[in-house]
Amino acid sequence: MDKGFVMREGENGFERAINILEMIYKLPDNLSEEDVEAARDFVFPELQNTVIGLLELPADRELELFFFRLLLGIFKEAQRAQEEGKKLVFIPFTFPPEIFYSFDNIFPLCTEIVGGLITNICYGQGERFWDFAMGLGLPDSLCSANTIGTMPLFMGPGIRPDAIVYNSAGSCNPNAKIHAFASDYLGIPQFILEKPVDESARGRELHFEYLKRFIKEIEEWCGEELKEERLREVMERSYQAVELYNEYWELKKGRPCPVPNIFSMTLLVLRSQCWGRQEAVDVMQKMVDMSKERLRKGEYTAAEELARVYITYIYWFFDFAGYFTWMEKEGITILGDILAIHYFPEMDFSSKESMLRNVSDIVFDYPMTRQMGGESISLRWLDDIAYAAQDLGADACIFGGVHACKHTLGTAAFFRREMMKRLGLPTLMLTGDVFDKRHTPMEMFQEEVKTFVDQVVARKRAPRKRKKVQ
Amino acid sequence: MEAATTLGRERAIYNDYVREWKDKGGKVVGYACVATPVELIEAAGLLPYRIKALGNPDTELADGEMSLFNCSFCRACLQLGLDGTYDFLDGLVETNGCDHIRAMFENWQHQKDPDCFYYLKVPHFFRDDSLAYFTEELENLKKVLEGNFSIQVTDEALEEAMRGWEEVRAKWRELSALRELDEPKVSGSEAVALEVRGSSMRSEDFSRMLSRFMEERVDAAGTRPAARLMVCGPATDEVEWFEEIEGMGAVIVADALCFGARAFAQEPVEEGTPLQRLAESYLSSILCPRMYKEYARRRDLILETARRARVDGVIYLYNKFCDLHGVDSVLVRRDLEEAGIPVLVLEKEYSAKADIGRVKTRVQAFMERIGGGA
Repeated sequence: MDKGFVMREGENGFERAINILEMIYKLPDNLSEEDVEAARDFVFPELQNTVIGLLELPADRELELFFFRLLLGIFKEAQRAQEEGKKLVFIPFTFPPEIFYSFDNIFPLCTEIVGGLITNICYGQGERFWDFAMGLGLPDSLCSANTIGTMPLFMGPGIRPDAIVYNSAGSCNPNAKIHAFASDYLGIPQFILEKPVDESARGRELHFEYLKRFIKEIEEWCGEELKEERLREVMERSYQAVELYNEYWELKKGRPCPVPNIFSMTLLVLRSQCWGRQEAVDVMQKMVDMSKERLRKGEYTAAEELARVYITYIYWFFDFAGYFTWMEKEGITILGDILAIHYFPEMDFSSKESMLRNVSDIVFDYPMTRQMGGESISLRWLDDIAYAAQDLGADACIFGGVHACKHTLGTAAFFRREMMKRLGLPTLMLTGDVFDKRHTPMEMFQEEVKTFVDQVVARKRAPRKRKKVQ
Repeated sequence: MEAATTLGRERAIYNDYVREWKDKGGKVVGYACVATPVELIEAAGLLPYRIKALGNPDTELADGEMSLFNCSFCRACLQLGLDGTYDFLDGLVETNGCDHIRAMFENWQHQKDPDCFYYLKVPHFFRDDSLAYFTEELENLKKVLEGNFSIQVTDEALEEAMRGWEEVRAKWRELSALRELDEPKVSGSEAVALEVRGSSMRSEDFSRMLSRFMEERVDAAGTRPAARLMVCGPATDEVEWFEEIEGMGAVIVADALCFGARAFAQEPVEEGTPLQRLAESYLSSILCPRMYKEYARRRDLILETARRARVDGVIYLYNKFCDLHGVDSVLVRRDLEEAGIPVLVLEKEYSAKADIGRVKTRVQAFMERIGGGA
């Protein structure tokens, strides 16, 4: 059964995924249980998990339908970009897209979002793309998120960027390396913004100089100057979303948490692909409004919130239903992951220079870049997750990543020990691959998490029985 | 070719040379990456010691800190850091060579808390702005060494150390020429053994060792190899591994290895203060895939070396989980094969003796392919 992956002429993974996603327009705005069931039964098994993950819970349904329709519009814009005379650039999910939305002539497409799209929509998920990479001779220790996202470029036909951008050199080498490889192999330009592993004022100043030079290179390449007004317009929209992000963060503190688990994924996609556009503001607004309403009504999917967990690195992405929905039904709230911790400086909109300085800080402190590109990976990672876990009232932590995450895997033992010492929070270490079910199937993940919550978190929450003093 | 044996293969991390240095009251500073300017450490009156594992297969302490998805060479080195083997070091200089090495240093620092520790931040590309920053970094390292060891690093001392290491590099080039002869007088495993040993010496002693070695070899008869190989890859100090390959009749006549030619790639720079010249000399010559937008340069250098040394084939090896070399190997293989040079890519575990049989089978098949099979 591979009806989901019958490529048509000119198609590749990205095109196949968005053509399948087209059916979202055919769904009614107010989906009933029967509609969801019918939609689920209409598609192949892996897409069923995406449909259920997005639409099964009434709390998620309206938002996700709204969000994916807007997102599909953005993907179609990416497809049309070159026809409309724009340059298409691939960017990693460690890079703010608003920089590129500030150019009229450039359209950014996030590599990992493409990888996630393929994984969650196409039949066979990202496996054929990963296997193609192995066929090229690439090492199997690379990051599946961006390897799956870039492989359609090598396989052809379909979308092909005019340039590759990355900023993860030294903070995540697998990420930087696959982007550099795509550029070297395909013979297209690459633009790199290095984040110095130096958190002093000197390091930030150097990063600002690097950013200005990076923008100059981009301007020369695309033949368009970054205009102050356009930058301001995009950054103002970006900061409307930031305001809503701050509200979202506060709502996460509610007990039981009124923010559905799947919104964590939505936030990630918004930040990586949509920030700086109206769509990000609209979806964030809806997420906040819906969560407020749930808070007001005291709504929570499970009978009881059994555990509030902070994901110390990244979510699982290959099965929305098995991960986000299952945890929610089990009474396990996902509070966030490393990619949910944003540091937005107070924006000074007064001049192009002042805005760029703030943008430099945003990039410098961008999730993952900030921690893995920190002067000390282990301490910066620990500090930030500890802050988030404490602020949001976590009971426990769960580590998830891919085997490419050498930086975190190399310091995870220290992290786990220190998290326990510092906040008394246990961390469940799960190895596997958040983009490829062949490493750790979802059933195994669920079993591990269930045991952890039942045996460790629930006991920790229960009042200690003291022995009576005779 | 028994020269490595003549000079004595390095068997101990805390070897006689270092012991003697320490006995005389000398201090030792460890570093791991060839982007670390050893001249600066030497000019401070200290002994620069390149961290190595000498084929140590044990990693149980390191495995408690790092994961099995981390490079086994870094874990082997960390093991020796944690089990006390490296306790003779008086200071450590970390560099951001790769994700694995950073994790190695962080765990080392958390567990052992060395008195003198400096994180030398090396940019990932060579440009005027990154060079200015790297120069400042060297200035900071100098201050840290001066502060910790109560010494002054004068320009004169730095110039002298720079001359000393330039002499080492000149001798290395002479040594390389002996390897590239039609009948090589020096083998690849001997060259790696010399670098492994020399990377815990001061320049004048390293230079003397190279001179002595070459004196023994220059008039000796060479060996006509069954195949002329070039080996490219990351930091690996497993001399035995190279001996096994050469034991099959091939000679590694050239290399682009981190414990090999890449450690001697620096070219002297004429203009600027000693520190500026040192910074430029190093940052402009890091021939490691950790540098970005420099693939074409690395490829051209490998091609040029391969052609000059008239190699029959190239082995590109890397330790499992090394993404930097793993990714570069795909491009190198494509481009060298296109240029008519056969390439064998070998992914291996550090010091895994069990692996050698598999490796030898593959090398044997490769040698048959390039016409050098026994």
